[in-house]
Amino acid sequence: MSARVTPAADPGRAARELFSRATGARVWRENRLALWLHFLAPPTLAALAAAAAFANPPLAALLAVLVLALSAASARWLMTRLSRAEEAKDSLTDQLIQSQKMAAVGELSAGIAHEINNPIAIIAQEAEWAGHLLAKAEKSDTPDFTELRDSLREIRAQVDRCGGITHKLLDFARRREPVLQDVDVTRLIDDMARLVDKEASYKDVALVRDLPQDLPLLRTDAPLLRQVVLNLMTNALHAVDKGGHITVTTKVDDAHMDIRVADDGCGIPEENMAKLFTPFFTTKAPGQGTGLGLALCHNLVLGMGGVILVSSRPGQGSVFTVRLPRVPGTGAVR
Amino acid sequence: MSDISILLVDDETDFVETMTKRFRIRKIDVASASNGPDALNLLEGREFDVAILDVRMPGMDGLELLRRIRAKHPLTEVIMLTGHASLETGMQGMSLGAFDYVLKPADFDDLLDKVRRAAERRALNVRTRHAGG
Repeated sequence: MSARVTPAADPGRAARELFSRATGARVWRENRLALWLHFLAPPTLAALAAAAAFANPPLAALLAVLVLALSAASARWLMTRLSRAEEAKDSLTDQLIQSQKMAAVGELSAGIAHEINNPIAIIAQEAEWAGHLLAKAEKSDTPDFTELRDSLREIRAQVDRCGGITHKLLDFARRREPVLQDVDVTRLIDDMARLVDKEASYKDVALVRDLPQDLPLLRTDAPLLRQVVLNLMTNALHAVDKGGHITVTTKVDDAHMDIRVADDGCGIPEENMAKLFTPFFTTKAPGQGTGLGLALCHNLVLGMGGVILVSSRPGQGSVFTVRLPRVPGTGAVR
Repeated sequence: MSDISILLVDDETDFVETMTKRFRIRKIDVASASNGPDALNLLEGREFDVAILDVRMPGMDGLELLRRIRAKHPLTEVIMLTGHASLETGMQGMSLGAFDYVLKPADFDDLLDKVRRAAERRALNVRTRHAGG
């Protein structure tokens, strides 16, 4: 089971592809010879069998069996082709809907965050002012006053929480133009892993870096990649139990570099796979997570021209792979 | 060779003094402040390529200062320095737009390299800003 999220960078091309897959035009173009063979061979053999029936009945029977087998095989081949095309169409539609949805949610969130930020700031100021007045008031040590102070403190705390959410929303919706520099990915991962180490050791979790020292430099946006790597490692840490393992590895080929964060934690139930990168989707308790972490990672990686691949087995763990193009601007990784 | 300017903000004066000396030996222009408001004042007066901020400071903490620097001086790249590794503040710092998040004690050459990368990023940003009009 795996989910693959690819950007619909060029909607026009995606739509054309969808059309050709749905109508079979692509199948026809790519397999013209095979298709002619499928259409002509069985009838030709059938005609031969009919002709042979007059001259040599055993030969005719043999030919008839051959025709039958050939027709069956041909039909099967076409059916497979057809269902595969159907599946491809479905997943492509899913991806199109997904990225449109993400863009819409991004815009909506930014709008809401902007609108809500001002009232939040006013509430915070008023609470502060009330606290200030309270501190100056006489006889301010009665139980009622204490209660009032507690109440104000709680208002502050909740306002801060709201502020945190609006900040994350704005951050999620912000479009970032990547600034490209040569990045030592091994060191970048190790730097971020050091931030996770302490918390990992509290949980008795081993954070293993299996990183080659001779990894080529990657031309990408360092702070954005740091954010993604830190997010994925933090998620992994939340997913594993006491004594679990997280392994970070890298792989490189001619076109891509992969950064792989694997854990042996709870895994992701199949029904959640499709929602994984949807903003606000979270399995954490209310107040524990906003459900924007992975959605943000997804956005950041898309912005860098890459993809995030996920595979997971419930109860056995998950693997998140960030696949980035080695030459930026060579288009989205497929 | 280098004409990088740094603003170092940390309430531990000993640390600031040592770092200032070491940067100056490398011919890097360093100014320092021991708290957030002083740092913001310095930034009003002149531009810095890179600001290095301690996370934990009395009064305005490093994250708040980072937030304000990113809002008012978006071209200045910020490197966060922290004595205690906290995932939560690390994530916050990176999402607020820090260039890097470094654990104390930081190896000086390592930090210097990060400063150079941050300054390079600033230069790239300045260039695209000019090119884009």
